[in-house]
Amino acid sequence: MSGVGNSAAFQELIEQHRGILYKVARAYCPLEEERQDLIQEMMIQIWQALPRYNAQYKSSTWIYRIALNVAISHYRKTTTQQRRQQALDANALQGPEADSNEKEQQFRLLEQFISELKELDRALMVLYLEDRSHAEIAEILGISLSNVATKVGRIKDKLKQRFSQHQNQSNGR
Amino acid sequence: MEDKDLKALWQRFEEKLDESLVLQRKNAQAISQLKIKSTLTSMRPSKIFTIVVGILWVVFVDSLIIGLWPYATWFFLISALIQVILTKLAIGIYLYQLILIGQMDISRTVLETQEKIAALKASTLWCARLMFLQFPVWTTFFVHPNMLQPGPGLFIQIVITASFCFVALWLFFNIKYENRDKKWFRLIFEGNEWTPVLRAMDLLAEIRGFRREDLEEEYV
Repeated sequence: MSGVGNSAAFQELIEQHRGILYKVARAYCPLEEERQDLIQEMMIQIWQALPRYNAQYKSSTWIYRIALNVAISHYRKTTTQQRRQQALDANALQGPEADSNEKEQQFRLLEQFISELKELDRALMVLYLEDRSHAEIAEILGISLSNVATKVGRIKDKLKQRFSQHQNQSNGR
Repeated sequence: MEDKDLKALWQRFEEKLDESLVLQRKNAQAISQLKIKSTLTSMRPSKIFTIVVGILWVVFVDSLIIGLWPYATWFFLISALIQVILTKLAIGIYLYQLILIGQMDISRTVLETQEKIAALKASTLWCARLMFLQFPVWTTFFVHPNMLQPGPGLFIQIVITASFCFVALWLFFNIKYENRDKKWFRLIFEGNEWTPVLRAMDLLAEIRGFRREDLEEEYV
C-alpha cells in the first residue's frame, strides 16, 4: 500500500472494506449502541496499525485479522448482564410477530446460532459465510489449511443440525 | 439447509449495512484527524500506576526491615521479608504484562494475538494467588516472644496462623485453570472485574484445542 499512514489511505481502506467491520462487530456484539463503540475501536486499531501494514497480505486479510482480534477481545469483556440481554433478544424471536417474515426469522436464527458458538469457531464461521477461501481463512486465523476444512465442516454440520432441530420444534407446536 | 442457503442468509447483512455506514465514514474521518488511544494501550497507565505504588511500598518495607533489623523481633522481620518478596513477584508479573502490551500487534493472526492477550489477562490470576499467599504474615508480624507463654492466647494465635497458612497454601495451589468451574472458584472470582480473566482462560483452552488439532491434522 502506498502512502501508508495517511488519512486518505485510511479512509479509502475503511470505505473499501466497510462491510467487514460491521459484520464482524455484529457477530460478537448484539447490542446496537455498544456495537458502534466496537466498530470505532476497530477503526482506531486499523489507523494505528496502518504504518505496519504488510503488503504481502491482501488488505481484506489484514482488516479481518484486526476486526476479529478487536471483536474477540471486546467480547471477553462483556458482562453476564449483557449476555442475559443477548438471551432475551434471542427469546424475543420466538414471539408471534417474528413469524411474519420467514427469511428474516431464519436470518435471525442464523445470527443466534452463530452467537452460541465459541469465539474462535464463530470467527471461522463468519469467514466461511463471507465466502473467504480456506487459504485466506487459514491466513487470518493462523491455523493449517486442513484444520480449516475439518473445522468448517464440523461447525456447518452443527449449524444445520440446529436449524433442523428448530424446524422440528416449530412443526411440533 | 444447504451450504448455499446458509451463505444466502448471511448475505442479508448487506441489506442492513447502509444505516451503519454513514456513521462509519464520519468516524473514519475523525479518527484520522485525532490522536487517540486504543483500549489496549489505555491499559498501560493503570499498570504503570500499580507498579509505581508497588515499588514505593517495597522501598518502604525494605527500609523498615533494614532500619529495624537490630531491634525488631524475628516474627516481624520474617513476616516483612515474606511480604516484600511476594510483592516483588507481583510487580514482576505487572512488568511482564507491560512488556506483553508493548509487543502486541493486533494485525497478527487471530490465534497468535488472542493467545498473547489471553495470557496477559490470565496472568492476573497469578497476582491473586500471591495475594492469598501473603495472608499468614499478617497474623504474625506483630507477635512478640512475650506472647508465646503457654496459655489460651498462644493457642488462639497458633490456630489462627495455622488456618491462614492452610487456606493460603491451598488457594495458591488450587487457583488454576482446571478448577475454574468449581463452586468455590466461581465464588472467589465472582464479579465483573474477573469476567475477562475467566473468559481469557476459556479462550486459552480453545486456542490450545485449535493448536492440538492443527498438529493432529499435520500427522494425518
